[in-house]
Amino acid sequence: MNEQQQAAVAIIGYGTAGVNAAIALRRFGYAGVIRVFSDTNTLPYSPILTSYYAGGQKTYDECFPWSAEELAELDLEVVQDCPVTSLDVAGHALHTPKGDFAYSKCVIATGATPMCYGFPQVEGGSYEPLVLRSMDDAERLKGVLEDDSCKRVLVSGASMVALKTLEACLNRGKQVTLVGMNPHVLDFNALPQAAERFERGLLGYGVELRLGQTIAAVERVAREGADAADGGRDWQLKVTFSGGDVDYFDEISVSHGMKCNLDFVEPGTLEIDRALVVDEFMCTSDPDVYAAGDVAQATELISGQKRIVGIWKNAALQGECAGRAIACELAGAEPTAEGAFKGSISMNTIAVKDTLFISAGTMEVTPERRVEVRETDDMTVLYIFEPLPEGGERLVGFNLVCDHDEEGSRAYDTGAMLTLRIEAACR
Amino acid sequence: MGLLERSDAYWKFTGQCTQCGHCTKACDSLIAADMTLGDIAQALLAAERESETVDQLRMNIAANGQLVQAVRGCFFCTSCKNTCFAHNDVCDLIYNARVDFQKLGLIPREAWSSVLVDEEWDIFTAYRAIHGIGYSDLTRHVATEEAPAQTGFDVAFFPGCSLAAYGPELTREIFATVEELGGKATMIDHCCGSSLKSAGFFDRAETLCDNNSREIEQSGAKQLVCVCPGCANDMKKALERTGVDVEVVSLAAFLNEHGFTPKRELPDTPLCISKSCQDRDGTYLEQTCELLGVDEQTPTIFHGCCGAGGAVSAFDPDRQAAQADSKLSFAEDGSTVVTMCPTCTYTYAFRMMSAPRNLQNKHYTELLFESQFDWSTVFYQLNSMWYGEYGAWLAQVFA
Repeated sequence: MNEQQQAAVAIIGYGTAGVNAAIALRRFGYAGVIRVFSDTNTLPYSPILTSYYAGGQKTYDECFPWSAEELAELDLEVVQDCPVTSLDVAGHALHTPKGDFAYSKCVIATGATPMCYGFPQVEGGSYEPLVLRSMDDAERLKGVLEDDSCKRVLVSGASMVALKTLEACLNRGKQVTLVGMNPHVLDFNALPQAAERFERGLLGYGVELRLGQTIAAVERVAREGADAADGGRDWQLKVTFSGGDVDYFDEISVSHGMKCNLDFVEPGTLEIDRALVVDEFMCTSDPDVYAAGDVAQATELISGQKRIVGIWKNAALQGECAGRAIACELAGAEPTAEGAFKGSISMNTIAVKDTLFISAGTMEVTPERRVEVRETDDMTVLYIFEPLPEGGERLVGFNLVCDHDEEGSRAYDTGAMLTLRIEAACR
Repeated sequence: MGLLERSDAYWKFTGQCTQCGHCTKACDSLIAADMTLGDIAQALLAAERESETVDQLRMNIAANGQLVQAVRGCFFCTSCKNTCFAHNDVCDLIYNARVDFQKLGLIPREAWSSVLVDEEWDIFTAYRAIHGIGYSDLTRHVATEEAPAQTGFDVAFFPGCSLAAYGPELTREIFATVEELGGKATMIDHCCGSSLKSAGFFDRAETLCDNNSREIEQSGAKQLVCVCPGCANDMKKALERTGVDVEVVSLAAFLNEHGFTPKRELPDTPLCISKSCQDRDGTYLEQTCELLGVDEQTPTIFHGCCGAGGAVSAFDPDRQAAQADSKLSFAEDGSTVVTMCPTCTYTYAFRMMSAPRNLQNKHYTELLFESQFDWSTVFYQLNSMWYGEYGAWLAQVFA
């Protein structure tokens, strides 16, 4: 064994994809050093649970899916508070504030960061809008929501993250306004008829919707009638919307999309499109570098193209695939087709209080595709069908909105049923 | 491999679970256990971690009442999976847990001694033998004293255990129709092994299905017609596993394809369809609705297990009854509950015997064919066979 083979397997990122890569490495027989680089000093957390924590539905400890004992069993060398600053692909080395580390194989699983694109410079004083991804973000949001002097929150963006932030605010009794540049909520995930039903649900919870608008200006101003003696905040945020309306809020949460955490990858060293382009074993353009999760662009089944499908399950399955393939290679074997990533479709389930939304597949309605709508008293289901060359058609996407979020209900059964049909039709 | 044979599966599941807790609210058993699916996997791994010997492991698991409840109280209905925001595969988790429970002796023998359907005698074969229900004239691919084995069949009919045992006339009527519409037919009157899986004999269930596959291959049939969605799913997997090129179709799809004309009118009561929990993608439901000539959107449809799945009755009979009640409560008073799997029909009939409701309970084939199940007789015969001349023999065989 040469020096390079003896170096550790490096996993950059200690989230779902990283943990699953580590589990797979061990499950498939790799007994060498696994060195994990984490930019925090906590156990891996679940980003899905951050809004529940902020909203008071989960405790801090409940946001960490894996216990210290379980992770200890994986025998990982975790380098905490140690973001990788650059990746030397040719030299098989990682540069970090804590020094340089050699690797034999590397898994990039650094996830994504919420963006504030378009959020204007705040005038009249400093103010950082709230975002929601990490436990630190959730801590800050929780603190704000527990502050009784914060009464009105503006949520900017209409994506899944924005809507879960909105729900956390509602659960804490805040007055919420949602502003989104698109005419409907659930950006890119819902067709208008489904989004409208979801919006009716939001309106029923007292949410003010400002759709088709953006935030044009924000100014930090003194709060009228503020009483510093009672501990309340003496400032508020004056927001001017793109339509010219002005309103005042205590906090603003921004969810304007996500950006892959790939700043440490030197341009030209790995093939990057919107994220790292990977093969069926999650291997990048370099045979010793793999990618999984939000930083990976793998096969999306409906289009057949390589796309980012940034969902938890993908991160888990892709991490597992990468770990398994690496274990195989380091054992001197070729990865088998059984361990290949089979591709995925986009799928989302979100509930804001009692209003449930489930979707899967594509929402691209091309001229060839047909949309069918079925509505009942409490549920709207939209189906997107695509003609098949041999005749007939296949289901390629659906939206389901139900006015009652009841676990185990027919709405969930229908959602699972349609998701399976799309997957089956693609395979 | 550690002390648990299937620890890989638990690690895999542990990696995938977000611990969001939605699955718990979707399942009474998980609520009773106060566990998520991820908790089950983690509890099994924790028990293994804390044990040095198999005996210790057995004791550690047995002492965890929540874990035992969660693993043995599962109907395999996938309600939790449907609700899982990450779409994790729960059946895989629980099947593996049952395998480990079986290996560790954590499932008592009385829970499965009568449903070892890969042995000579199980509750179905015993019932059929005692009550003279046989199909040797229809299992034509098997040689008998009267006739040699035949080959070159067009279609094989797989009625499944419940239909074959409890509805012999209906079975024969359906068989005749299958032959009339599909060509030369034979019958495969074996089990798909679902009861073995529930008891933790996963490998034996697969072997049974693989043997069925080979038998079908030998018959020369090109198509296998299954009545129950669960049988169809298991046989599809087995045929694929064994490389046998036979198409599996549901009876409903077969009848639709051949333009079957129902032999009776649909009842004029409202229909309430009990979607089989084995019909995860709703394909069989769609085919059944088409066959019955009802719009999939029009009748009331309820989903989830009837109470028969996962051999929960052997662990907690009250919970099985409660599950059946819960499902039947969806049906409007005076309506006809239409089941897709004959075992569901049996389960509802059994429940309604002790807790009558103003409902008709029919397998969908009963709405199309002349013959009907006679549940009063079936339950009488099931009960009485434990007494009288065969009682001692049964007690010995299933001890």
